[in-house]
Amino acid sequence: MNGSEIFGAWVAVFLTLGIFSYLYKDNPFYKIAEHVFVGVSAGYWMAMAFWTQVQPNLFGRLWPTPEGEISGFMLKAWYGIYNFFGFILPSVFPNGGIDKGHGHDPHFIYLLPFALGILMLLSVSSKWSWMARLGIAYTVGMAAGLRAYAFLNSNVLGQIKGTAVSFVDMPLFSLTGVSVFNNLIILVGTITGLLYFYFSKEHKGAFGKVTRVGIYFLMVSFGASFGFAVMGRISLLIGRFTDLISYGSETYHYASIWVLVLMIVLLTVWTIKGDKKATG
Amino acid sequence: MEKFLDFIVRAGSLDRRVIFVVIALAVMLPLFFPLGLPIRPTNSSQQVYDVVEELEAGDKALLSFEYGPSTKPEIHPMAVALLRHLLSKDVKVYITCLWPDGQFMALEALEQVADKQYGKVYGEDYVLLGYRPGAEAIIKGLVSNIRKVFTVDSQGDFLDDIPMMAGVNQVKDFDFLFSASAGYPGTVEWVQYAADPVGVTMSTGTTSIQVNEVMPYVQSGQIKGILGGMPGAAEYESLIGQAGIGTSGMDAQSVAHIVIVAFIIFGNISFFIERRRSKKY
Repeated sequence: MNGSEIFGAWVAVFLTLGIFSYLYKDNPFYKIAEHVFVGVSAGYWMAMAFWTQVQPNLFGRLWPTPEGEISGFMLKAWYGIYNFFGFILPSVFPNGGIDKGHGHDPHFIYLLPFALGILMLLSVSSKWSWMARLGIAYTVGMAAGLRAYAFLNSNVLGQIKGTAVSFVDMPLFSLTGVSVFNNLIILVGTITGLLYFYFSKEHKGAFGKVTRVGIYFLMVSFGASFGFAVMGRISLLIGRFTDLISYGSETYHYASIWVLVLMIVLLTVWTIKGDKKATG
Repeated sequence: MEKFLDFIVRAGSLDRRVIFVVIALAVMLPLFFPLGLPIRPTNSSQQVYDVVEELEAGDKALLSFEYGPSTKPEIHPMAVALLRHLLSKDVKVYITCLWPDGQFMALEALEQVADKQYGKVYGEDYVLLGYRPGAEAIIKGLVSNIRKVFTVDSQGDFLDDIPMMAGVNQVKDFDFLFSASAGYPGTVEWVQYAADPVGVTMSTGTTSIQVNEVMPYVQSGQIKGILGGMPGAAEYESLIGQAGIGTSGMDAQSVAHIVIVAFIIFGNISFFIERRRSKKY
């Protein structure tokens, strides 16, 4: 076990217990953990997006490593711009072009997304913020187009097919597999659930009774969702406790125990001081 | 009787911090003193196992890692168990990541299973293509041409230089697709943009909270089985006969659930007693 791993474990323990300490009350440990989390997340995402997408896929396509000598005025000027950027940021624009497997010729079509990206950054300026709408409009339009067919195919047609259940050649009742009884529940649940969301007619009389059945199905569904949510949270808690237990071992110099004791002592001191201030 | 009811009402307004401590103990104690509760695979977990079991040596499986450290306790055990199952059958494993953290999770799982346990060779038995941002656009790209999205793998090697990438150009070239997903982009997007349009057999492992969202796809047959959260992972571990992190966490999970259910029942009884008394007066 090297020093950096042990240090990492101590940091992990501090941050975990710092977040848990909020269950007692809001305190500086929680604040530190919260701010570190937000800061690190933002930095991590930005660095990740830049080095895995912008640099290789955008700049790598605009300025790929040329094959042989650069010829022609336009290309020389184009790579002149690159060399200028390279002088300022050599890690982003390495000498001789970016070799990320995008061939050897610049893909000038990628100037369009480059321009749209820059326009989106203009949203920080009140004067030019309207230009950001172009980029946003493209993104929204592209996403809508991309999703329309997929939703129609998988969520509408696929689900309708799935709801078209059979009632023949199967057992009447089964707890584990398909059965007439289970398929009947799917049929009734689907129809009554859908009817509940039909608001053009008042939910009264026979229609009201049917929609009430729909509500019960929805309630069962929400109950299941809540149960799964609790299960998920407990799983995550188990994960953190498992780590805390392993970090509490001799290998990590009893990190969990030391940090926990220190936090309890400090929280107790702060609470007593706070109480004295309140009564004094 | 009245004293007992008074006690229940008073207990109903218990300080929430007491509840936190009880839950913490309910989770922690079984981790120290395992109960060894039995694990029975559900139909959906069995379905995933059966689909993988049908694969033969040399078949190609595409695994997508869409989770990070925050959901690691739920998804990582199932990813590890699935890798064990696939690699034990000599299935070629191709890994993509739609989440940046997924790459680190994949590296960890591969080191544990592919390198240390099975001694598999990178580039011949498994490959980590890595992370690409772009969500469903990336899936669309993989469906049309993998090399449009990935020119290099996570190590910076060109795809054409990797032996097991020969003849692999699109999602339809895979025999099996598995999404280890903790949210967006994840399972739903893989169904919508890859499994349904291409027709490739797909299974998934998700967080517990996602099960209800993904279950309709399982019911309709668009997804062949689902591993739901830590219990799903534990069930898969029991199916492949290799206990792991999922199995060890299930005792704590079960005890914590019993405690939570007890608190819910207790809280409801307290509420109804109070309501009855307020009606009386």
